[in-house]
Amino acid sequence: MNAEPCIELISVSKTFRDGGREVRALENIDLAARPGEFVTIIGPSGSGKSTLFNLITGLTQPDSGEIRIDGRPIGSRTGQVGYMPQRDLLLPWRTVLNNVILGPELDGRPKGPARREARALLPLFGLEGFENAYPDTLSGGMRQRAALLRTFLTGRDVLLLDEPFGALDALTRRELQRWLLDVWQRFQKTILFITHDVEEAVFLADRVLVFSARPGRITTVLPVDLPRPRQSISLLSADLRRLEAELIEALEAANGAADSG
Amino acid sequence: MAHEQSTVSALPASAPYRSWQPLFFDAGRAVVMVFVAGAVLLFFTLGTLQLFNEARAVQNLTFADIFPSPREIYAAWQEFDTLLLEEHIPETLWETVAGLSIALVLGVLLAALMDFSRILRWILYPLLVVSQTIPTFALAILLILVFGFGSGPKIMVVVLFCFFPITLNTFAGLQSSDPELLSLLRAMGASSFQSWTKARLPAAMPSFFSGLRIAATYSVVGAIFGEYITAQRGLGVFLKRSYSSYQIDQAYLAILVTAVLSLLLVVLVNLIERLALRWYYTTRRAGWRGPGIY
Repeated sequence: MNAEPCIELISVSKTFRDGGREVRALENIDLAARPGEFVTIIGPSGSGKSTLFNLITGLTQPDSGEIRIDGRPIGSRTGQVGYMPQRDLLLPWRTVLNNVILGPELDGRPKGPARREARALLPLFGLEGFENAYPDTLSGGMRQRAALLRTFLTGRDVLLLDEPFGALDALTRRELQRWLLDVWQRFQKTILFITHDVEEAVFLADRVLVFSARPGRITTVLPVDLPRPRQSISLLSADLRRLEAELIEALEAANGAADSG
Repeated sequence: MAHEQSTVSALPASAPYRSWQPLFFDAGRAVVMVFVAGAVLLFFTLGTLQLFNEARAVQNLTFADIFPSPREIYAAWQEFDTLLLEEHIPETLWETVAGLSIALVLGVLLAALMDFSRILRWILYPLLVVSQTIPTFALAILLILVFGFGSGPKIMVVVLFCFFPITLNTFAGLQSSDPELLSLLRAMGASSFQSWTKARLPAAMPSFFSGLRIAATYSVVGAIFGEYITAQRGLGVFLKRSYSSYQIDQAYLAILVTAVLSLLLVVLVNLIERLALRWYYTTRRAGWRGPGIY
């Protein structure tokens, strides 16, 4: 395994000004991920998880600290990582095929080869036969898969997924988690994944980072030593249950209250 | 940009589309329209009779003087069809289409400028609103008195009538684009020009077309108004001559032709819209709106 981290945050802090009041969103975040690692991030609402992603994408700048991708500081450049927000944000006036090639198109790459590459991946993303459909005619699960394909096709090595399955029903969510693991293993991407779901956090990750309530800090790092591939792991597996219990405990400690999840 | 998060897999992907449903709705609408038209017609007939009786007491008018029969109007059409088709209608149509095209370019340009720059928005928006408080008619008369008989000033009148709804609607459309979508594009490394062409402009298209539709209904009236003030050719001239020689049947003919031209223009705009915005009309966000005039 390559020891050199492909994404690295070094004591990153961020403060927002909210009408004269200063709100510390993130405090001294240190984070590094190896290439091909799956890291989930869990924490109470308002613990700055989405702010963290805004910093890594370059949409906002940290007050102090540094963010490096492949060893280079990102500065104020955007477009260094693939980013998928909570809402799918597919363009309603584009067909599925033209939606998923948005990344290459913005990079100025020719559309022909991009379309060919996308077409080849449609079956894996469960979108075969829907390349000419408009997003509004698709189900929620399909829209999320299309948004994920768009994120994968940006060709970036690091992908930031912000609660991608948050709005889906339990069954679809389950199905998509297994499918995401499958896709992630094929493509060897580094994934940072925000979630509110304890089970999801453990099931997907190599490592779970627990964030505290404002100001956001990493309070616990929980390594998940379950064997891979995990697609067939039972929900009732004792190891899974043990890790979930540990995570809930860590969350409660971080929150300073009994409320979690 | 209503993204319903809750419409999960429960909703059937592209629900089966029943082809008879739109026809059923259209038939229902036709029935309603016939009733409404009948009521309006009754109202106008009774009103005309009343007015006619009052007028007859003062002036020595016959009924036919103010209300020609359809046959008389048709006779007028037979008499003047070559004159109308070869001279007046082409002139009016040219002024209308030229004016509408200029208004379209000007409107989109102004909307884009206001969308791009806060300072320009700050300067232009009040000017635009003030420009609409000046009676367009007064300005039109001035234009034609200054620039004379040709079709140029009439085109300017059409532009004056039409650019405002286009500008305002396009601007509103550009401003309505989803801020989250724009930050996603920025996160993906899009330049501001790219997010304009790939997100803001397409998102503004439905509003732009509603503006264009309003402008299309104004445009023919604008051209005829310009011609009515003073011109050598055009439906407005025909109308004016008809009135000044008390040829009421010809005046009705001119009104009918004007209405038909306006309708055709609106139908053309709708057709282009439906072809250009297939995404808007094939998805459930808009639903079926029929092939009619709106």
